Amino acid sequence: MSSMSKKVKVIPCSGIGKVHGLVAREIALKLVNEICTQEAETECLGYIVTEAPEIAERIKDGKCITIDGCPKMCAAKSVAHVGGSVTAEVRIVDILKEYRGYKPGTATTLNDQGWEIVDGAAEKLANRVREIYGEE
Amino acid sequence: MGSVKIGVVSCSGEDCLGGTISRLATRKMMEQIRPDDAVTLCLPLFIAGGEEERGFAAAHPTITVDGCGKWCAKRATERLSGKVSDVVQVADLIGTETAEGPILSTRNITPEHLEMVDKVAEEIRLKFDRIAESYKGKALPIKGF
Repeated sequence: MSSMSKKVKVIPCSGIGKVHGLVAREIALKLVNEICTQEAETECLGYIVTEAPEIAERIKDGKCITIDGCPKMCAAKSVAHVGGSVTAEVRIVDILKEYRGYKPGTATTLNDQGWEIVDGAAEKLANRVREIYGEE
Repeated sequence: MGSVKIGVVSCSGEDCLGGTISRLATRKMMEQIRPDDAVTLCLPLFIAGGEEERGFAAAHPTITVDGCGKWCAKRATERLSGKVSDVVQVADLIGTETAEGPILSTRNITPEHLEMVDKVAEEIRLKFDRIAESYKGKALPIKGF
């Protein structure tokens, strides 16, 4: 990963306590590994939390989309904490409003409804990624 | 006197396979292996949370589970919360090259990956039980969390 990458950084919370964290993680992985491979990449949130100079520099360089599973907004706050520019804050709770009644699985495994949410949300978010990438 | 609650904090990294394995092994501890005695916390809550979250490692003996050689869970926990009681390094158990390979979606988990999860979870359990044993008969280090 280049330190001067122009790619949009998609950073999920990967929260471990609830399914929302796993949904956030899987949306980010789908985006960077399948849909927007040329326009997006992810950065390790755990590494960001260490505030290591290397990751802080890399985060400051680019535009970030954070995806958070709970109101604590760990991804958005951690990116901002190291000086990153959060261009878009995505909240899983907002995504789930379009999937009322769905039960996506657990924090360990998603079920079919969970994957439907991930696939749909990732496709939608891809448009935002391309817009942001184009603005660079 | 109740049993001590032991913290298991995973890096859950998004950069390599080890991150997914660390996350799943930690989940296995919480759900199946020691559901009544293991507690966890999302690593970034040390920044995003309040005093209660930052006090986690002071309140609980804590094991960190790191997916790669950057040791983010251990480093962040010790810097932002408190000294950890023990560590698990996924790369030591499944090999550095494998652990630092491409990140894995849980959609693509294979039986081989699940074996890796089991191996890491077993290592966590061994360290977990050792810590629990050392607290037997002693006053708990904390108030409830």
